[in-house]
Amino acid sequence: MAFLSIQHASKTYARNAAVEDFNLDVDKGELVSFLGPSGCGKTTTLRMVAGFEIPTVGKIELNGVDITNTPPNRRNVGMVFQAYALFPNMSVGDNIGFGLKIAKKPKQEIAERVREMLGLIKMPDLGNRFPYQLSGGQQQRVALARALAISPQVLLLDEPLSALDAKIRVELRYEIRRIQQQTRITTIYVTHDQEEALTLSDRVVVMSAGKIEQIGSPFDVYNFPKTPFVASFMGTLNQLRSRVVDAGSGKLALGTQEFRTSAPVKAGATDALVMLRPEELHIGVQEGENHLIGRVESVAFLGSVVRIHLKLGESVVTLDALNERKLVLPKVGDDLTVSFPPHACWVMG
Amino acid sequence: MRRGGRIWAWFWMVLGILYFFLPLFATFWFSLHAKKGVLSFLAYENILRSRAFVYNFSASALWAVLTIVVGVLIFVPTAYVIRLRVPQFRAPVEFITLLPFVTPAIVYVFALVRTFSRPPLLIVDTPELLIAAYTILCMPYMYSAVDTGLRAIDVRTLTEAAQSLGGGWGIILFRVILPNIRVAILSGMFLSFAIVMGEMILAQYLVKPAFAPYMAYLMQQKAYEPAALAVISFALTWASMGIIQFVGRGVPGQAQVAAGH
Repeated sequence: MAFLSIQHASKTYARNAAVEDFNLDVDKGELVSFLGPSGCGKTTTLRMVAGFEIPTVGKIELNGVDITNTPPNRRNVGMVFQAYALFPNMSVGDNIGFGLKIAKKPKQEIAERVREMLGLIKMPDLGNRFPYQLSGGQQQRVALARALAISPQVLLLDEPLSALDAKIRVELRYEIRRIQQQTRITTIYVTHDQEEALTLSDRVVVMSAGKIEQIGSPFDVYNFPKTPFVASFMGTLNQLRSRVVDAGSGKLALGTQEFRTSAPVKAGATDALVMLRPEELHIGVQEGENHLIGRVESVAFLGSVVRIHLKLGESVVTLDALNERKLVLPKVGDDLTVSFPPHACWVMG
Repeated sequence: MRRGGRIWAWFWMVLGILYFFLPLFATFWFSLHAKKGVLSFLAYENILRSRAFVYNFSASALWAVLTIVVGVLIFVPTAYVIRLRVPQFRAPVEFITLLPFVTPAIVYVFALVRTFSRPPLLIVDTPELLIAAYTILCMPYMYSAVDTGLRAIDVRTLTEAAQSLGGGWGIILFRVILPNIRVAILSGMFLSFAIVMGEMILAQYLVKPAFAPYMAYLMQQKAYEPAALAVISFALTWASMGIIQFVGRGVPGQAQVAAGH
């Protein structure tokens, strides 16, 4: 039985559906990310688990207990907010011990737990500081420690890294994963950053317009997207409107240039939308792969990769070439041959 | 800053100081002339020894304290709930709270007398009506001070953070929200205190002892004592402001809410 189970949950505000028929089972100790653009319903779903929103329809069970209508202060669910939400009038130690104080734990137990949490977030000497004396990253660590101090059944993180700068965000991302694995706490992580979701999660729930588009491991969601939305949302994606030459053998064409896909093509279809990741395209002719010739539209040096925009038929595709010393950079206007394996093409519709 | 600009800045600052302090200094200087030919605090002694002063001042102080208690109990939860639950009502409620500014006190007191001097609510001569009337009179100051304090903190997120840690409404209000808007509440309290201490019309027409009617009465009877009383009144107000600054000093992460008089 799932540790956290969200069953047919929907939330409607004045006839506008924020979340529709959301179903998810989360195992104990699992970290699941809700990923999607702004307004897709991921935060609303998280808030339903936290108890700040009551589902219009549906049920939420935690450890076998129906908590759909349980008030947030009786759910034993820890929450970390985007805006840190540390209590400005309390020191770091008091913030961390706040939940335990409410639970009327003995003073010594609170002090020990606060020390333990400060150690966990690697801030052992900062217990007497006030929130305004900490950096954004430190404040978010304290918020995490405060949420964990009460030993919640589930930890909910609502875009916790969005307000931080890029470098701290990456550091803290690994820190959150380390702490989650160390404490083995069941976690739901809301983000609109696909890289964050892919790095952190055991499973990713991709959402759009209040509905689940796909649930799967980061590997599956990135490599085997089930819908055009997931395919386009997870990383850069080339979309090639192609002519179907022979659906049975997977033969397609861009203008006069033919290529093959190992993905099934709908029988009788005259055209198909082919998706290709930029990293699947290689410069030059590779044996056993498709090769197409296109015209270089732009070349951008991004450090570890060189991003090339190439006109292929009516479409412009993006190609990421690894920055190796032997790489000869093409010029704008050059004809360039690119290769890609048939299995790298997905066909939608 | 250019030299010319600095001179003008000083000029306007000195002019402002003179504008505010010259009349006050003149009042103070005048109050020291109660004894012919010498400077003395006789007028102050006369006032502080007067039983009427003590009686009226304590009565006003009592009305002020009760008004503050009622005001805090009504307006703090109201402003909090409006910010948290029904933010769409903020504008209409703000408008309502400003109504005492546009209603002349004399109109207000006649409406009170007319409404509450007949059944079913015959309470025109009770102190409760005076307190209720003062609470309404202080509403713009108390509500806006509290609302400004709440605006300076993220009420919703702090509330939700406290809830997720197991906090009920009482704990959230008293341990999280109130300590973070302490200075704002103090501002509202002291402004209300100053308003009630200086209010004359309500007390006079509802026939209750109060400081301002006593001051008006004294002005008709004596020369130097009303001036001394005016200085005492200013000193009390400034002392209140000083207390706000003192109590609010060093409150971590708390926005200082300016209080004016």
